[in-house]
Amino acid sequence: MADFFENLKNKIVETQVWKSIFRHGYPDTDTNRALVMFTNVLLHLHPVKVRKSALRIRYTWCLGGLTFFMFILLTITGVFLMFYYVPDTRSAYQNIKDLQYAIYFGNLMRNLHRWGAHAMVFLVWLHMTRVFLTGAYKPPREFNWVVGVLLLVLTLLLSWTGYLLPWDQLALWAVTVGSKMAEASPVIGYSGPFGKEMGMRVDNDIRFMLLGGTVVGQSTLLRFYVLHCVGLPLLATLFLVVHFWRIRKDGFSGPL
Amino acid sequence: MSTEDKKKGKNSEEMSRRRFFNLIGWGGLLASMGGSAVGTYKFMFPTVLYEPPTVFKIGKVTDFGMGVDERLKKERQIWVVRNERGLYVLVSICRHLGCTPNWFPDQQRFRCPCHGSIYDIYGNVRGGPAPRTLWRASVSTDPVDNQVIVNFLSRQDPDPESTANGLIVEEAPREVAPYFIKSA
Repeated sequence: MADFFENLKNKIVETQVWKSIFRHGYPDTDTNRALVMFTNVLLHLHPVKVRKSALRIRYTWCLGGLTFFMFILLTITGVFLMFYYVPDTRSAYQNIKDLQYAIYFGNLMRNLHRWGAHAMVFLVWLHMTRVFLTGAYKPPREFNWVVGVLLLVLTLLLSWTGYLLPWDQLALWAVTVGSKMAEASPVIGYSGPFGKEMGMRVDNDIRFMLLGGTVVGQSTLLRFYVLHCVGLPLLATLFLVVHFWRIRKDGFSGPL
Repeated sequence: MSTEDKKKGKNSEEMSRRRFFNLIGWGGLLASMGGSAVGTYKFMFPTVLYEPPTVFKIGKVTDFGMGVDERLKKERQIWVVRNERGLYVLVSICRHLGCTPNWFPDQQRFRCPCHGSIYDIYGNVRGGPAPRTLWRASVSTDPVDNQVIVNFLSRQDPDPESTANGLIVEEAPREVAPYFIKSA
């Protein structure tokens, strides 16, 4: 039996197809180990050198990795939810109800998405706290701190736009209140400082642009849905790539 | 095969502790992946449908005049056809590629605007690319209120005969229950 699998493995590994995909042998020699890192798009994000101390769990607590894991989880479960959710004020709430009570696995997917979202926001803050307390934001890593802050803002925006989608009372009033805050922005909001002087009215300021109207309605739901499912995830992915790339270039910080 | 097993000889059938945990580990992983795959598969089949019903009542036989009645075409995708012998229901889906043909009373023909299929009032193909005759949906009478019940998905589809006039199906055998309601 074991011989059979051994032979089968050798047959597969020696085909041109396999060799064209994996352009290195089994990573049991130093050359092949290096080649794995060089020729694999995911693994090449690993730093060239890692300090042993930087890999101690009690130093990073894996918080960045856990946050990224949540991002992946939310992407996958979010795609699942998109199969049944329609951003229409007449059907949105009913779709969520169906997911929760009728569709097989729907309840699991919806709850994973919601709890995962809460967990991601929580973990981003903890990760930021850890980076601050260990001084990992110091040169040469200052800009990665800035990218991280942008990622924090994107995470909160993703959370807020997703909040509206169930179209229940909680969602409606949360976005009503949130957009009221945007209305109070200086210069671009009509009730903020210098807003009226800049010619801002209730139907042309930043809140109007956010909601796609003067009240939270159908156009708001569609807008937030597109931002939540396409716009913000694309931006977040872009900045995540930059974030990881800089970690890869600078190496992990470690205890001094 | 781990080196541990190789030392003992490849054919040793005894279950070492390492091998047992190996099996448990891989088994658990494969089981969870299999479960996820099954769940994903089942997720893709909705348990609630928001579609028009496929079995519906359309009123009494006497509510329809002789010839083709187009009133239900938009809402239910059917033509109700009545002749002196009785009533049958044609599904208004072209058998070529599923477009919706139109009824031209002056020509007594259904003509499909997309690729030019032509059908007569019985659903026989009189021209164009359609490979089969129009479907007839099964009909029955409700014993309580005498309304006609149409089952949109249960359809009559006999093999047509290729003639000089087109693809023709003999009419007499078509006009039987459950695809035909005889006029009393």
